[in-house]
Amino acid sequence: MTAFTGCAGGASLVVRDFTCRYTDPPAPALAGVSLAVAPGELVAIMGASGAGKSTLLRCINALVPALVPAVCDGEIRLGAQPLLGVEVGDLGGRVAMVFQDFEAQLFSTNVRLEVAFGPGQLGVEPGEIAARVERTLALVNLADCGDRDPSTLSGGQKQRLAIASILAMEPEVLLLDEPATDLDPIGRREFYAALESVRGKRLVLLAVEHEVDPVLRADRLVLMSAGRIVAAGPTAALVRDVDLFTACGVRPHDLAVLARRLGCDLPLDVDGAVAALRARGVPESARTAPAAAPAGRTAAAAPPILEVRGLARVYEDGTHALADVSFTLGSGEFVALIGQNGSGKTTLAKHLNGLLRAEVGEVRLDGADLGALPLERVAREIGYVFQNPDHQLFAATVADEVAFGPRNFGLAGEALAARVDETLAAVGLAAVRDEDPCLLRKGERQRLAVATVLAMAPRVLILDEPTTGLDYPQVRAMLELLARLHAAGTTIVVITHSPWVVVEYAERALLMRRGRLVFDGALGELLDDEPLLRSAAFEAPPAVRVARALGIAARTVDELVRALESED
Amino acid sequence: MALSLYFDRSSWLHRRHPIAKVLVLVLLFFAAFLLADPLPLACLFVLVFAVTASARALPVLHRMRWLMIPVFFFTVIIWTLFYPATAGAPVDRWAALRYGLAMALRLETFLATGFVFLATTTIEEFAFALARLGVPYRAGFVLTLAFRLVPVFFEAALTVRDAQRCRGLDFASGSVATRIARYGPVIVPVFIGGLRRADQMAFALEVRGFSAGRPRTSLPRPGIDAGDLWLLATGVAIAVATLVVP
Repeated sequence: MTAFTGCAGGASLVVRDFTCRYTDPPAPALAGVSLAVAPGELVAIMGASGAGKSTLLRCINALVPALVPAVCDGEIRLGAQPLLGVEVGDLGGRVAMVFQDFEAQLFSTNVRLEVAFGPGQLGVEPGEIAARVERTLALVNLADCGDRDPSTLSGGQKQRLAIASILAMEPEVLLLDEPATDLDPIGRREFYAALESVRGKRLVLLAVEHEVDPVLRADRLVLMSAGRIVAAGPTAALVRDVDLFTACGVRPHDLAVLARRLGCDLPLDVDGAVAALRARGVPESARTAPAAAPAGRTAAAAPPILEVRGLARVYEDGTHALADVSFTLGSGEFVALIGQNGSGKTTLAKHLNGLLRAEVGEVRLDGADLGALPLERVAREIGYVFQNPDHQLFAATVADEVAFGPRNFGLAGEALAARVDETLAAVGLAAVRDEDPCLLRKGERQRLAVATVLAMAPRVLILDEPTTGLDYPQVRAMLELLARLHAAGTTIVVITHSPWVVVEYAERALLMRRGRLVFDGALGELLDDEPLLRSAAFEAPPAVRVARALGIAARTVDELVRALESED
Repeated sequence: MALSLYFDRSSWLHRRHPIAKVLVLVLLFFAAFLLADPLPLACLFVLVFAVTASARALPVLHRMRWLMIPVFFFTVIIWTLFYPATAGAPVDRWAALRYGLAMALRLETFLATGFVFLATTTIEEFAFALARLGVPYRAGFVLTLAFRLVPVFFEAALTVRDAQRCRGLDFASGSVATRIARYGPVIVPVFIGGLRRADQMAFALEVRGFSAGRPRTSLPRPGIDAGDLWLLATGVAIAVATLVVP
């Protein structure tokens, strides 16, 4: 291994003609990657799953090949110092990384000790550690949380703590691997605001992201596909290349798509786009054009399946997880359950399928007290897909995994085989029926998790953040699956932080804030209530915000284009 | 769900130096091990209970009652039933009961002492004390991290169990063997999830300089004071006293 002797501050990161191939199991990961990032520059890397984004970051900070078997070739250097072949420990904290799974990065008793851990490993003087802890906590707006247990922080706070724990080591390169994936819109905004405050420190900043909106402030974008960089350039220019984004498996920016469809040039910020469209002229008929509602019955027409009345729950530590929640879920609805991290969405959903029994208030299934029914009976009617598919996959093959639930309910023989075939076909996994579930890609594992519940033929399917960690094509595949199930009569309740998922697929929204249901109604009404959305930290996608500002009730770019191109 | 055993308070015991607490922990284990009669063992248990109360850490014993209460009764019954009898002589039931009680109180003292230590000592203090007492840093760190992660894995196991209940897996009916066998679909995801988490944690530790190979430091830490010496002296006195108790 090469000795790492450290760099002077403000060194550039250079990756030149770099190739990486994993050896166990053998798989090509990167091919001919070249990239240079100057200090103070923020570069965002985007691409579909398997494009090589995370591998590139792990090669830069020497985790690959030091901890993951791989053969690497080419050059990575920070200033004059080569990084390829260096032991991670020898980097002395100069190249640091924040991972997607921030829970796994936090292990200390309180926030202050978490931040002090890194500098302590580097042998920084105790007095200087204390000073760094205070400085970095102030920088990420966590100065008031020094004595708190990290596990009690919100998602956004945990991720900012993960950054603080890295910044306290005073690295020269900060690598961020999908750092905001699990965060709600406000948590994501807080995170990128914290990142803005770091930019003045002359750090080399490299962030992998799936969503383009949060990284619009990046100096440059790099698009990767199949281990190669296919495009790199200034964000403002590259982000307008809708075809390129689509080809790379990244959801293009709403306003870039809108500009292209209208054949004009539009600013990518909502206010700028609204002004430009007004200047261009908005037909009067557009303002009254009704938005096409997604297929499905409305709440008013739907016969009720689940009724929730006065539901409340107080945790052991006194937290009011739910307070006076009441609503009715009708047959055949597609409902989005939204709200900030910790607002009570998952707790509410677990009451709907009997995992949690109502302590105060009641939940009724087809008019019967759900609390009095055996969980097995409820599970047949109300399917629940957990956020992490790995929490339920255990069987040797995909087909066995799908057969597990119906078999528990007494299905056997040909009927069971037919159910498995039918379910695998519905989720598009028939081709991998004999594969080990653990070896599937994340998107496939997520669809398999849906299949395991779907195989029990529930009337209601509740999904807890089913798109987390998936790339755009995988998210689309998952949502199209849900849309097909919905069209076939299944009631869908989806918990999600993704605004575009909500507006494109749901017909009704339940908005939670601090344990209370603060909105229950048609999605269009919610989108009209800007103050309520803001108070619940939910932000509609750019196309919807532009449409609302122009007085158009559109929910997608297509609808907005149709309205804008309509004749007066 | 709060599963961590550490209780963030500002009691006299929380403020004691971790080296003093580790040494007293060992001394109390030693004392409990040496005592053979239920009465002095009960006295020692009451002392530990009183210390726990004065450190405002009684909730830890309450939280662990699911373990402590069954252990007590199970131990009394088992050791009373299997008390070794002298060949040819009738079993002395009173002696057997005293023996069972002594064994149960010894185990309860071990458990209570360990729990009050974990309730009043952060894992960072624990790791620091072990390192100062000569335990290699990596070994001490892994040991203390285990205490931190056990609740995390326990929580993961509860989530997996819920996920499988949603697929119709019934943990409540059938024979004991059947019910144990049904935990397969829980153990596999927890185990695989544990391996994934261990991988991610290894990456995170490396990135934060765990293998930097430099002398480690920490936030400024108070030294040993008179209160620590008193605590230590009390521990030594208790250990010595057990040597003279009949």
